[in-house]
Amino acid sequence: MKRLSQLPTCRIDPEKKVFITYRGKSYQGYEGDTVASLLYANGIRIFSRSLKYHRPRGLYSLDGECSNTTMAIDGIPNLRTETTPARHGMTVKAQNVVGSPEFDLLGIMDRFSRAMPAGFFYHMFHKPPSLWPLALKRIRKIAGLGTLRHDFVMQVRFDEIYPHTDLCVIGGGPAGMSTALAAADQGLQVILIEARPWLGGIFDYRPAKYLDGFSLHERAGVLSQRVTENKNIRVFLQTAVVGIYPDNQITAFQVGGRPDAYKERYVEIRAKSLVVATGCLERPLLFENNERPGVMQVGCAHRLARTWGILPGKNAVFCTGHDLGLEAAIDLFDLGMEVLCVADNREDGQDAELVAELKKRNIPFYRGWVAAKVKGKKAVKAVTISTVSGTRRRDIPCEVLVASAGLTPATGLLSIAQCKLSYDNHTGFFLPVNLPERVYASGRMLGFHHPLSIEISGRLAGLNAAAGCKETTNGLRKEVEEQLATLPGPPLGSKWVSPPGKGKKVFICFDEDATLQNIDQAFSVGFEMPELIKRFTAAGTGPGQGGIPGHNLPLYVGQSRLPADDPPSPTTVRPPMVPVLLATYAGKNLDMSKRTPVHDLQISSGGKMERVGGWRRARYFSPDKSIREEIEAVRTSVAILDASTLGKFRLHGPDALKALQRVYVGDMTNIAEGKVKYSAMCNDDGCLIDDGVVVQRGKNDYFFTTSTARAGGTIEWIRFHTRYDGWDFHLVNLTDAFGVINLAGPKAREVLERATDSDVSPEAFPYAGYRELLILNTIPVRVMRLGFVGELSFELHVPASYMITVWKILEETGKPWGIRNFGLEAQNILRMEKGHVIIGSESEQRTTLHDLGLGFLWHRNKPEAKTVGAAALKHTENQKGRLKLVGFEMEDSASAPPRDGSIIVDEKIRGYVCTARYSHTLNASVGMALVEDRLSSISERLAIFEDDCNGKLTYARVARMPFYDPEGARLKI
Amino acid sequence: MSLTITCPICGKRSGYEFRYGGEDKGPRPDEDELTPEKWFDYTHLNTCIAGMQKEWWCHRDGCGTWFKIYRDTRTIGEVPLPVEDKIKDA
Amino acid sequence: MVFKHEQLLGKSRFRSSYDAVIIGGGLHGLATAYYLAKDHGINNVAVIEKRYIGFGGAGRNTAIVRANQRTQENLPLYQEALKLWPLLTRELDFNLMFYNCGNLNLAHSDAAIKSLRLNVSSAQFHGIDSRLLDAKECKTLVPALDISDRPRYPIFGGMYHPPGGIVRHDAVVWGLARGCIKHGVHIHQNTEVTDIGVKNGKVEFIETTRGKIKTEKVLNAAGAYSAALAYQMLDIRMPISVLTIQAMVTQPLKPLMDHVVSSGAYHVYANQTLKGEIATGSHMDPWPNYTTQNTAYYIKHQAEALTELFPCLKGAKFMRIWGGLADMTPDMAPIIDGNDPVEGYFVDCGWGYFGFKSSAVTGKYMARFMATGQCPAILKPFTRQRFEKHRLMGETAALVEFSPNN
Repeated sequence: MKRLSQLPTCRIDPEKKVFITYRGKSYQGYEGDTVASLLYANGIRIFSRSLKYHRPRGLYSLDGECSNTTMAIDGIPNLRTETTPARHGMTVKAQNVVGSPEFDLLGIMDRFSRAMPAGFFYHMFHKPPSLWPLALKRIRKIAGLGTLRHDFVMQVRFDEIYPHTDLCVIGGGPAGMSTALAAADQGLQVILIEARPWLGGIFDYRPAKYLDGFSLHERAGVLSQRVTENKNIRVFLQTAVVGIYPDNQITAFQVGGRPDAYKERYVEIRAKSLVVATGCLERPLLFENNERPGVMQVGCAHRLARTWGILPGKNAVFCTGHDLGLEAAIDLFDLGMEVLCVADNREDGQDAELVAELKKRNIPFYRGWVAAKVKGKKAVKAVTISTVSGTRRRDIPCEVLVASAGLTPATGLLSIAQCKLSYDNHTGFFLPVNLPERVYASGRMLGFHHPLSIEISGRLAGLNAAAGCKETTNGLRKEVEEQLATLPGPPLGSKWVSPPGKGKKVFICFDEDATLQNIDQAFSVGFEMPELIKRFTAAGTGPGQGGIPGHNLPLYVGQSRLPADDPPSPTTVRPPMVPVLLATYAGKNLDMSKRTPVHDLQISSGGKMERVGGWRRARYFSPDKSIREEIEAVRTSVAILDASTLGKFRLHGPDALKALQRVYVGDMTNIAEGKVKYSAMCNDDGCLIDDGVVVQRGKNDYFFTTSTARAGGTIEWIRFHTRYDGWDFHLVNLTDAFGVINLAGPKAREVLERATDSDVSPEAFPYAGYRELLILNTIPVRVMRLGFVGELSFELHVPASYMITVWKILEETGKPWGIRNFGLEAQNILRMEKGHVIIGSESEQRTTLHDLGLGFLWHRNKPEAKTVGAAALKHTENQKGRLKLVGFEMEDSASAPPRDGSIIVDEKIRGYVCTARYSHTLNASVGMALVEDRLSSISERLAIFEDDCNGKLTYARVARMPFYDPEGARLKI
Repeated sequence: MSLTITCPICGKRSGYEFRYGGEDKGPRPDEDELTPEKWFDYTHLNTCIAGMQKEWWCHRDGCGTWFKIYRDTRTIGEVPLPVEDKIKDA
Repeated sequence: MVFKHEQLLGKSRFRSSYDAVIIGGGLHGLATAYYLAKDHGINNVAVIEKRYIGFGGAGRNTAIVRANQRTQENLPLYQEALKLWPLLTRELDFNLMFYNCGNLNLAHSDAAIKSLRLNVSSAQFHGIDSRLLDAKECKTLVPALDISDRPRYPIFGGMYHPPGGIVRHDAVVWGLARGCIKHGVHIHQNTEVTDIGVKNGKVEFIETTRGKIKTEKVLNAAGAYSAALAYQMLDIRMPISVLTIQAMVTQPLKPLMDHVVSSGAYHVYANQTLKGEIATGSHMDPWPNYTTQNTAYYIKHQAEALTELFPCLKGAKFMRIWGGLADMTPDMAPIIDGNDPVEGYFVDCGWGYFGFKSSAVTGKYMARFMATGQCPAILKPFTRQRFEKHRLMGETAALVEFSPNN
């Protein structure tokens, strides 16, 4: 097809050819084409088949308000070809067809549409019950639009940015540009967002008069240049706003251009003020077969010609309800298309000049006429037009029907922004009322039609937004308000909805194949509220988000069901305003986790790292997951563990002790100098949430540790539970300031001795002691003698910046004893052999301190402290029927340990296995379990039910804990 | 940032920086008074008001302060603390 | 094949007296009303709904059904619930579109495998089909899964529960409503209950925006508003936090996922609806609110999580996101009481995530409770008093985030 590329409005570059592959064949277009315009120029008319009835669908709005033009491009399904720029080398495929869009075997579905009324599925296929699974299979196959392969790999990159600004303007048409310029002149930083690849909006493609002999197109150029040159305005082109949230948080996605490294970019904007200037959509004209390929809206036909240089067809009938329709008919006629007639559903109110121009061209013009029906199976062959009352009819053979009932404001984003919309009788629009603070609307969406009115309304919004940002514009605002009042206001809008003598296949929603008949069916089963009708008929729940049915549905419900003076109410719109790739939302999807100071050393020593909360830690160090050597090193010689993730805190100030007493169940009043105090924190349910040690380093000055998981929440926990008290204390989180090394094993002392001059002999530094030492006379470390793994061990708290040094020193001094790393899994077994619990592993949400056998940690005689959890501990102290933690040993010493999570049963479930392992040290399978208290006494037999055991139980006996070194002698050497 | 909270120290910030701390139930009762009923009341029971609620928040990813605000649970909009409350809480 | 349209929702006369009044035209309310009429012959019943039936959680959940809960108090209830869908389909003569696709719950650590094993063992002990799969088996079931070590939480394995699936939530609402109407129950939409009248410790009447109704039995089944209602009208406070939970769907795709897949670590569930949309969700902002607002934060988070689990979904598009309310209790199990502390006052709330899957079966037993005054054994564990007695149910092992108590 010869393209009208010489038109000044045309956006294709005839010098730059683009080739794409569609259905295996190569098609040529130009840079600037969308996939849809390229295909249309090559004679493609049927773009897809509809969801339910597989009706042929073609170009309709050209702005993506329905899924008519969705295709699969380079493996990505459901893309709207009308808004997708054509790029050289693209592979485009039709979807939801068996065969081709032109010859779709499932096109037969359309014949059954009468047998598939709204709610059809609720009454079908369930009798007999055996029918349903078979029907399901068929339904699934037929349903769905595009195909996404399970092994599809997205090859391109995505990006994300988070700009802040004073004002965000949505819509780069005349109103939006005027808004941006007015606000920028007041000194505001402005972001202007436009969905199309260029600014200009409703002015962009129109040669109609502006002022002083300029065309609207030229005016768009002037405004767009001013905007681009203004340093206060940042323009985002090809950027679709998809969400607006409270406090003017705006989300959008930008399509990457040629030089960009990304395909699409997620944009999240925070703006002080927001102006929505998204203009209008055309309200679809409802009549029989109103979505046949060849039926298109005014803007679609006009822009095809003006923007892409493609005449929609040889001849056309226009059925419209607004002056843009008349203007387009005249312009397309002048460009060489035969305009057979123009029918206008308005009896009067048309622009007299336009009517005169039609007459000048001998184009028949019918006032009060509409389209009633389109004939032709796969394309428009003829249209039946009729008077609005249906009394007179005429058939006109034609190729294209340009159809539009009227205009409707593009309020989708306002609705998403939770603005209240109210029906306006004059314009027939849903207009915003009570806009949220610092949200404004401007331009055509308020009903303005005159070019100057549109611009000035935009200007006013810009000044209002500036005032919202506390720039003083009062004088100017008043002036502009007055100016707007002198300009033409919103014209009377068309209210036309139902076709005369309702046809059969009048589609109110294209995406879901919902007809007016379906809506009537919803009425007849008792649904009268638009939202229920939406649910029942699915109208407006498809990819187009109500773009097509959005305004007609409430109007139709209003006209059919509501009392005459009840205004219709709009249906809801939900984000995203247009469908967005998950890849775009995911953006860069950066992965963040914390590393301990010796992270790299752990890896170079062969550590297999694993995520632990926000951290990465070494689970084990053996190549084959066997950790026997790690355990043996701890039990017989010496090994080191990186425990840097432990929470570490300083608590100091006059009321520090009170705070400790409030959150720890133990008595913190007399922590001896040079000693650690082990204690626990409970929540108010008396459940163990944390354990750790506390040392007193000076008067009212404490250092304490928490579990890794709890480190992040400790400060807020302590402050929460003291929030009413007004106590004077300070908390410092030292978790990242210190690394922690657990040096464990019977040879640990020898290793430490060689690294420090301090006396670390059992007499000078006994079990449960605390010392501050210098490593190699230089590095200050805080050392605790603890025994989580059941051996002599030193926990060294080392300034983070010295961690690597100290670690290497210990590796050096430990060489004679073959010092080695051990990881979390070894620690898990070692501590289990000692009967030490890990919170979350041996406890759950409802496990109290008593249940764990740790009730002794609770100091009951400090009621004045109002200790968190104390009341619950008192209430539950002697409660029967609770799950208690016990140790167990398998009856058959040769049997493997039950897997963690196996349950303990008799006729009911009585508990479950928390941790069970084969212990090399003990040469037995042992474990810990939470079981009902009546099964918790020593030697009680536990029947263990493992998954997939086929009823074959295994048996264990409750055993005394700790399994290993019950006297604790090894800790104290 | 649908929800924003005004921290008395750091100012207005995204709600995701904060942690909700429950309805304002008043100071911790004396331990001896905490019968199971009273304990349940203080620890778990909520009024669940659909409307204005006085409640605790902590600026977790900021200064760490606990403070009270009024918030409308129907809109999640924060509303300024009435003057008399400011005086009382000061 | 053309069928006649019959009224799903009749218009009922507003009476000044009913034998029982159900507050809330959601699933639990409708189911209770249905069974009151059908099983117990009590059909002088009104369902009072402030908006329209199915407006709340009933129409906002993602319709997943399953019986692989953690505790033996819960399992029998959900087990029966699962068996009820086909029965109800027949009984109501309304296709509830039970799609028995099975559920796969992924584990991303050894600890998660352990906790799934507890669920699986408990299910098997109760004769419920549920089993543990390794990562490869998961992949066979759901080929779109990435079982490499690329995701930040690599897949260790999963719990596969074949009897589960999805049910069309609107169908259940409408089917039950139709069943109610057939049995003479009155459904009053656009009607708000404004007060519950109590005299001498007994329910006497309720006050509505359309007038007073005399009744001796009231069920508070107002979903997320139950707790607020109990407090405002009866001064009963509940251990409940009301949060907005969000869900979303992609544009329709040809069959890609044949099972419901969920993951604790990613806090995600996803399944493909009969229409072809991938329905996914589960995030709650941890602060109480009644907004049902969705957030920018969440849709982005969900895209990040989903595209790690299912890299191919990078090529799918999100089409719509919405929010509903969940009334969460401290132990993730519901609260069911009757005649306590007010005679004639019944409450069925606190379902959190589980309101949909439990609806029909709970209605059945709730109806028995209301008809006989005796709490059926299957509902007994759910009394509000359990908290006071320090008997949390244990349906969740982890500390819940929305309570300041943790």
